Amino acid sequence: MERRSLFVTILIHICALLLAAVILAPVAWLFIMSISSTTDLISKPLNWWPETVDLSRYTRLLTAVTNTEGAAFVAALFNSLRVAGMATVAALLVAIPAAWAVSRTPKVGWSLYAVIATYMLPPVALAVPLYMALAALGLLNTVYGLALVYLTILAPFTTWLLKSGFDAIPREIESAAMIDGARLDQILRLITLPLAAPVMATAALFAFLLAWDEFFYALLFTSDLRAKTLTVAIADLAGGRVSDYGLIATAGVLAALPPVLIGLFMQRALISGLTQGGVKG
Amino acid sequence: MSALDIIGVRKRYGTVDTLKGIDLSLESGEFLVLLGPSGCGKSTLLNIIAGLAEPTAGDVHIDGRSVVGVHPKDRDIAMVFQSYALYPNLTVARNIGFALEMRKVPAAERAEAVKKAAKILQIENLLERRPSELSGGQRQRVAIGRALVRNPQVFLFDEPLSNLDAKLRMEMRTELKRLHQMLGTTVVYVTHDQIEAMTLATRIAVMRNGQIEQLATPAEIYERPATLYVAGFVGSPSMNMLDARIEGGMARVEGSEVAIPLPVEAAAKGKPDQNLVLGIRPENLRLASDGEVLALEAAVDVVELTGPELVVNAMVGAQRITATLPPKSGIEVGSPRRFGFDAGAVHVFDKETGKRL
Repeated sequence: MERRSLFVTILIHICALLLAAVILAPVAWLFIMSISSTTDLISKPLNWWPETVDLSRYTRLLTAVTNTEGAAFVAALFNSLRVAGMATVAALLVAIPAAWAVSRTPKVGWSLYAVIATYMLPPVALAVPLYMALAALGLLNTVYGLALVYLTILAPFTTWLLKSGFDAIPREIESAAMIDGARLDQILRLITLPLAAPVMATAALFAFLLAWDEFFYALLFTSDLRAKTLTVAIADLAGGRVSDYGLIATAGVLAALPPVLIGLFMQRALISGLTQGGVKG
Repeated sequence: MSALDIIGVRKRYGTVDTLKGIDLSLESGEFLVLLGPSGCGKSTLLNIIAGLAEPTAGDVHIDGRSVVGVHPKDRDIAMVFQSYALYPNLTVARNIGFALEMRKVPAAERAEAVKKAAKILQIENLLERRPSELSGGQRQRVAIGRALVRNPQVFLFDEPLSNLDAKLRMEMRTELKRLHQMLGTTVVYVTHDQIEAMTLATRIAVMRNGQIEQLATPAEIYERPATLYVAGFVGSPSMNMLDARIEGGMARVEGSEVAIPLPVEAAAKGKPDQNLVLGIRPENLRLASDGEVLALEAAVDVVELTGPELVVNAMVGAQRITATLPPKSGIEVGSPRRFGFDAGAVHVFDKETGKRL
């Protein structure tokens, strides 16, 4: 790469900038919309940058006064946090033993493929059976019911991800620990899981995002403030007779913040390379 | 009492017989090397001793006690893996002390034992580091230290030096030997490197296709190989193998006029017109003086100087021989030369069975 000509270098930079622009433009526009006044948003020709910065919508959405958009939004925010959090934790609890078992016992690998195969079904095919099951269990319109449904989506995916993580940890390390006298729980707790921490963090983050962004099942299985999640709440904002696009954009920005914060927080754990050095190389 | 007994051990994976009946008995303090090419079953045998695999049939006794079905941790063994298998997330000190930690040895006693092992292996200054911060040789020492601290009945080594570079490998080999002389523990050591086997072992088991071809001291393996396979596997450059026939109580090498008198036992067993393979080690060949009768006429085609010796490749008729000669032998490519040897240096094998006559 030392011998790249100036032209190629410039070309590569232009391509990178273009890609960044394509990806970031909607996010940037979302943010600009959220701080523009209504007049700016509906004026023709469009004002690309608001004349005055208007932060009133943020305060509107983040108040707890009952029977306001704010109350609904804040309730949905907490519902989303609880549902996504519970589903993620449960998915990891299910996936860690399952993934380890499949990774160390290739003979039962087919079972994981069978579970992954259910991913081929469109969500709508499962909607009715899931609805009936939740109704029978009395879990409709509860965060627990929704978390349970999300668990069925997240568990196969996290298991898959963790399995490849465990595969990367040499079995010899576990054999050595076994000879050294460690019990299975000690091997997992002291050796394997710390080594798999980066993969577990990745799995947790992706699982959380998946649950956080889910809309279809949330729309079907929740009906009021007790269980509605953010995605549904945002859709509600658009559902009235007069849609305040600025308000929807603000809700979008706020909804994006928790995953971003969690991602930043887990960044350290996401950096892999911890397994280096235990075995040769 | 023997430290380790392996009695009729077989291992079958699906339809493949990896081990076809292994019998071994090891006295306390012995250093046994399992030598063989990859796929001969030597690592499987080691894993069976360690308890990482169970035999399909047969029994394994450690210190007179059957250990089949016994968990590895209860077998009183320690193992050093080819890949070292250190715990990357733990410090060197905790790596070495892990077995004691698992056995609930008090921290002070543990630290003492770790320190002692580290001192023997000269890695005291590395105790607080993590494996990723160590060089290959240092990791190897930590892996040995982890086994050492246990003071086990039997040490198991699975090709421990094969990931090191040549110079380091020689140093560690000497160190392992010193360690064994110092501690006197029983060792089972797997390798495909015949030099390691020859230098380290008190006894070598040469393995092939799941069976032991020969179990003997290094000297005996080298001087009296039991089969053609063992003869070819041990020694570098490997032994010259010449097709020959018994004619008139002598062995006549094909493509040569020379008749070689058979050693007494071979002469007793050999039948007229029997096909033989004669083995002569390259280092037993020399440039023949004019009067020597026992010599092979050969055309030299490649000469390699390794430094301490000259490796000469030559053709006897259609058969290739190699001779290691002193460096200043003045051999030129293309010239026919006569290579002399002593009758006692000839190994005689039956061509059909591959067994020594």
